[in-house]
Amino acid sequence: MSENTISILEGNTFVVSDRRGNIDASPTSPTGLFSWDTRFLSRWILTVDGKQLSILSTDELDSYFSAQFFLAPGTGTTYVDADISVIRKRSVGEGFHEDLTIANHRDQPVDLQVRIDIAADFADLFEVKDALPKKGKYYHRIKNRLLILGYRREGYVRETWITTTEQATIDEHGFSFAVHIEPHKEWHTCLEVDVEISNMHILHNAVKYEHSALRVRPDMQLGLAKWHQSAPQLTCDWPWLGRIYQRSLIDLAALRFNSSLVPGGALPAAGLPWFMTVFGRDSLITGLQALPFYPELLEATLRQLALLQGTRYDDFRDEEPGKIIHEVRFGEMTAFEERPHSPYYGAADPTPLFLVCLDEYERWTGNENLVRELELEARAALNWIDAYGDLNGDGYVEYDRRNKETGLENQCWKDSWNSILFADGSLSRRPLAVCEIQGYVYDSKMRCARLARTFWGDPELAQRLEKEAAELKRRFNKDFWVKQREFFALALDGDGRQVDSLTSNIGHLLWSGIVDKEKAEKCVRHLMSDKLFSGWGIRTMAEGEGGYNPLGYHLGTVWPHDNSIIALGLRNYGYDEEAAQIALAMLEAARFFEGRLPEAFAGYPRNLTGFPVEYPTACSPQAWATGTPLLLIRTMLGLEPVGDRLATHPVVPKTLGQLQVSGIPGRWGHTDVYGKGRVAVPESVDHLERLMV
Amino acid sequence: MSESVEEFFTELAARHYEPLLHSVSGTVQWDIDGEGQWNVVINKGNITVSRGAMAAASTLSCSKDCFLALAKGVQNPLTAFLQGKLAIDGNIGLAQVFQRVFENPQGKAMKAMSSRREP
Repeated sequence: MSENTISILEGNTFVVSDRRGNIDASPTSPTGLFSWDTRFLSRWILTVDGKQLSILSTDELDSYFSAQFFLAPGTGTTYVDADISVIRKRSVGEGFHEDLTIANHRDQPVDLQVRIDIAADFADLFEVKDALPKKGKYYHRIKNRLLILGYRREGYVRETWITTTEQATIDEHGFSFAVHIEPHKEWHTCLEVDVEISNMHILHNAVKYEHSALRVRPDMQLGLAKWHQSAPQLTCDWPWLGRIYQRSLIDLAALRFNSSLVPGGALPAAGLPWFMTVFGRDSLITGLQALPFYPELLEATLRQLALLQGTRYDDFRDEEPGKIIHEVRFGEMTAFEERPHSPYYGAADPTPLFLVCLDEYERWTGNENLVRELELEARAALNWIDAYGDLNGDGYVEYDRRNKETGLENQCWKDSWNSILFADGSLSRRPLAVCEIQGYVYDSKMRCARLARTFWGDPELAQRLEKEAAELKRRFNKDFWVKQREFFALALDGDGRQVDSLTSNIGHLLWSGIVDKEKAEKCVRHLMSDKLFSGWGIRTMAEGEGGYNPLGYHLGTVWPHDNSIIALGLRNYGYDEEAAQIALAMLEAARFFEGRLPEAFAGYPRNLTGFPVEYPTACSPQAWATGTPLLLIRTMLGLEPVGDRLATHPVVPKTLGQLQVSGIPGRWGHTDVYGKGRVAVPESVDHLERLMV
Repeated sequence: MSESVEEFFTELAARHYEPLLHSVSGTVQWDIDGEGQWNVVINKGNITVSRGAMAAASTLSCSKDCFLALAKGVQNPLTAFLQGKLAIDGNIGLAQVFQRVFENPQGKAMKAMSSRREP
């Protein structure tokens, strides 16, 4: 989100306002109070004597669910007459609670007209994103100190209830207060905004916060303080890493999502503002990134995705038995099946990733119960890979959409419609077998062979999976290898042609282990070349490709999570210094975002811009960007479970000096790991660096 | 295919065990307009069905038409819920996973098509 907005959130409810605390949503801007993927407030503007206020300061209270706004009358353009001050304190949780305090610093009494303008457009987040018109009717009711704004379409009813503790004149567009304050006294009112969905039994009496309570209420598994206490402690000579780490911990806490749809512990939602929901892929990757720090996130993710695993064949939802979900939504367009997210299964990678994560989870935690409990689901996922994932029987998992109208065109992590391009910039045609998914499938079969042998008592399955994996690896290294340019094709298209752009996807292959040793060297050379490596990270697509655009969502921007996976892959194949170089570049980039890496940033070369250029509509915080520093720490320290202990093999960049993480949880109990910065990374100091110290 | 509510629950009771609910435990109560209450007790996939009032983790209320559409798999439970056709009091997750006992009309056609590659 932009620097000009303040976001507070809890679960799938969040408020995005300007720095004065006001909400003034245009049809397409994502400000407002959102809950259940619906905007319950689109206007919330405070004025005093008909004028908006100036900002003195804003405080996010170092928490993710409350904020304070310190304001004063005046334009802010010249000087602020500060004998009146206004404080708004706001906490979100199933609606929000706002404390409004006005203080009179004068020696004289003062009379003020205080007004809150209110509107609710009940837009579905999809409508906000795509600027679509509404199909139902709006209404309002006024009772005593209560204003109800409502929206109805057939049986779909959503209401916003707004109450005040002080007497107000209420009309359908807001509250007016005639305020009289004696000298050096204060006036105060509470405003409460509740989200009402009657058939969901989400009712106005479900008040969550009073008077800007500073404690998280118990529906979160862990309060923020406890969450912090349970995290491993990090110390590092390079002070930025501590800050980045703390930021990640807070954002990860904020993004925990306790959907009532999926009972059990909290799992990471994908990102603010567009993706405060369960995503198969994003939740799994984030759980994996956070595994050495909060293994419970991955456990909750695996359990919940198992409960939502496909059991049906459904064209509209691109669902097949055994498939792991892509995304769940709760807004109006989902309700009326104008969008397929109930849930939507249009993604081919979450299913093998689910299996990879199940194995990785056991390797770290030793919690074999989960592997035994999810055996049926794991077998269903394996079956999906062969029976449904491989659409044309060629031995590769490819995707196409059966929902031709609203299904996703690209069902891999680069899921924008134009992400899979030939080197000449032309568009590929489905079905597409994208390279990294073949890597995930290879890895999932190798890992499930271990699970079958060790926990499921099925050595025959283990043997079969290993045989299939070996055969897949052999064929993949032949069929996907672009001989002339010496890297792996982005995909094979419907005609078996290589989609021959050079992309970051080849880095995921290193993580999966599908790459033959002699080909790995060539891939690494490409990854670290100026064409792919911008100096801040590896671009999604290489400079010089026909489709390259440094601001193209998946066509040249740098995605932190992508880089975290690539760095892990580089270490898998022994390219330790290259991994350290990427880790440092990412961490240095994070400094320019106040320690919080965004979803993506522009792919301009570092020596051109001197700082990473923000991508215009990137989500922040975004779960797998938030998880990126965590995985980078694991990668730099070379953490790998070996039997019942945690092996380490640090390759820490010199810039970081000493790096220590204590209390890493796992099957070994808790352990401390230490690494000393020895790897000299070329060109890590640029001209701005000196200015910023 | 169930043509009546009673038929659906009789068939469900006769299944005794539903493997797709092997990890699920809890009581789901259906309160269907004009048909009364049906309780489905799920215990790690084991299913017992009873009638009348009973404490439930999740109470689902809807019209008879809505219920039969759900049972035949032509109405998705989550969209029924979001649209206001189906009210849920209690555990929404349990209600969602209950879909696994309903029919899947497209599934039959698919099974015939894909049986070749089913391992």
